[in-house]
Amino acid sequence: MLNLIENESLKLLRRRRFLIVVAILFVIMTLVSYSQYRQLRQGRNENWRAELQERIARYENRLRRGRMNESWSRSMRAEMRRLQFYLDRGINPEAPTAPLVVRTFANAAGFLLLPLLISVLGADIVSAENAEGTDKLLLTRPVRRWKILLSKLLTLWMFASITLLTGGALSWLVTAPVLPAGGWDAPMFNGFAFGGDQFHIESVRELPLWKDALIAYGLEWYALIAVGSIALLLSVIFKSSAASIGTMLASLIGGTILTRISPDWTAGKYLFVSALPLADYYTGQLPPYEGMTMAFCITLLGVWAAVAIGVAFVIYTRKDVFG
Amino acid sequence: MTALAARNLTKVIGDRTIVDDVSFELQPGEVFGFLGPNGAGKTTTIRMLVGLIRPTAGSVEICGFDIRREFEKAMRCIGCIVENPDLYRFMTGRENLQHFSRMLGLDRSEIERVAELVNLDHRLDQRVGTYSLGMRQRLGIAQAMLGSPRVLILDEPSNGLDPAGIREIRELLRRLATERGLAVFVSSHLLGEVELMCDRVAIIHRGRILKDGPVKNLISNRRAMEFKVNDVTRALRVFEQSGARATPPASGDHAVLVAIEEDDAPPLVASLVREGIEVFHARPKIQTLEEMFIEVTGGETVD
Repeated sequence: MLNLIENESLKLLRRRRFLIVVAILFVIMTLVSYSQYRQLRQGRNENWRAELQERIARYENRLRRGRMNESWSRSMRAEMRRLQFYLDRGINPEAPTAPLVVRTFANAAGFLLLPLLISVLGADIVSAENAEGTDKLLLTRPVRRWKILLSKLLTLWMFASITLLTGGALSWLVTAPVLPAGGWDAPMFNGFAFGGDQFHIESVRELPLWKDALIAYGLEWYALIAVGSIALLLSVIFKSSAASIGTMLASLIGGTILTRISPDWTAGKYLFVSALPLADYYTGQLPPYEGMTMAFCITLLGVWAAVAIGVAFVIYTRKDVFG
Repeated sequence: MTALAARNLTKVIGDRTIVDDVSFELQPGEVFGFLGPNGAGKTTTIRMLVGLIRPTAGSVEICGFDIRREFEKAMRCIGCIVENPDLYRFMTGRENLQHFSRMLGLDRSEIERVAELVNLDHRLDQRVGTYSLGMRQRLGIAQAMLGSPRVLILDEPSNGLDPAGIREIRELLRRLATERGLAVFVSSHLLGEVELMCDRVAIIHRGRILKDGPVKNLISNRRAMEFKVNDVTRALRVFEQSGARATPPASGDHAVLVAIEEDDAPPLVASLVREGIEVFHARPKIQTLEEMFIEVTGGETVD
């Protein structure tokens, strides 16, 4: 199996996609660190208290004006209370430090960027072989088909993990020279539990930033493993790289748009994309649909991944390979 | 031991029977030609032989191992190119060979050995994307030879090669069969190629095997002499008197085909000359596979 994984990894690297992914992450993180640096230099974070108060006031105004749908106002009220909480404790939730950027990366990139990059990286791990005709050689070796597919799945998972870690590492490397590099033990407030309209202040936990980041990255990793599994299924179903990567990107972006524009269509909570921003929900952002607890999201992603893997293996081990 | 045996292979897709009850056997040291026009079911049969397609009925045994029940053991005995020699174009020749030898768990020295075999050692570190079709064909054979298989299956191995390349591959395959006792299965739609390369040939048409036998037999059964003369009518009378079976030529032509061996020709020529018939030439004529093919398939075109 190690031989097979080595083969798959080499092929993935030789296609130079991973290089592109790292380059994209680097460019994005450079832009982020530059903008944060400017923010720091302009001293905008000197008057963060006023800003927070202003934001809360703005939300209040909009709520008072009404005329917005129920779930919008619900999330707005929750966000207001979250900001008020930070304000009361005298903590600036947005003071940029390098560790904070690293921590934020899990949320910001985990929601769409990393799933997209992983799709570009691996959503054609099977279909490319089909399109290039190399599957004929791959499948006429004394190796069972399920082993070949398993090696591809494990390689995909491995590169999903490496991409996440590279992103995290890059976000520190790029921001550390220009922002305060310390502050790994800064207090973070998480676990804002939303029960309907209620904000449970007692369920808020105070964690040092590094521990909090570890949890966020862990959740994001889990989500990316699920993305990789679904990408595998699409690459088995489709016969060309473009079709499988395209479908994967379309379902990620389309699903995300869908959950944003029609939060009243409650069946949408069973789409895997609704559960994808695990780190966001952990931080306290309200999921788009009612009843999406952390346990629900984790189970949902697990079920999607398991079904995708199961179907992929059944199709792959049974299909006739024509030209 | 039989190197490869196909028994009653059948593939039905929808209501179309693509391969219909195809059976044959290959012995070690034999080059077997699988001849048929495009779309006759050659590639589908090959894909069933190597386990890419599951047969609707029938079975395949390689070196005594059933391909479905003992896939890994069966595939250890086989090297193949199905359709085009599609290798990873973004990798070098060496990386390609390493890739496949890793799947077989082979030593690195094996790569040098197979590359030498096909004279590719000098270009091994260049990307396959830069190779000519002939070089890719040779790299394809090199990867098929990894792990010293007992059976080699090649689908249209001379596709896209120039005459020199075709000759080179032909000689290589013959050498592998005679020197190493490999059983070589070659599919082709080129009659001349099969005639030159193969010991035995099976002709497939519309999914069925129409004929199967040694190339020599198929040809020697159809030996004849061609006489070109100035007076066909009188010549035919001479042939009739000597008891030889003669086929009158098409109108306007002066060549008569006579079913005799070459050794029996001089007395016939002497008789013709005695009768005052002018003989322009007398030469042995072997019915080519092409002619035979047209005969057995009912004259459908072969490209």
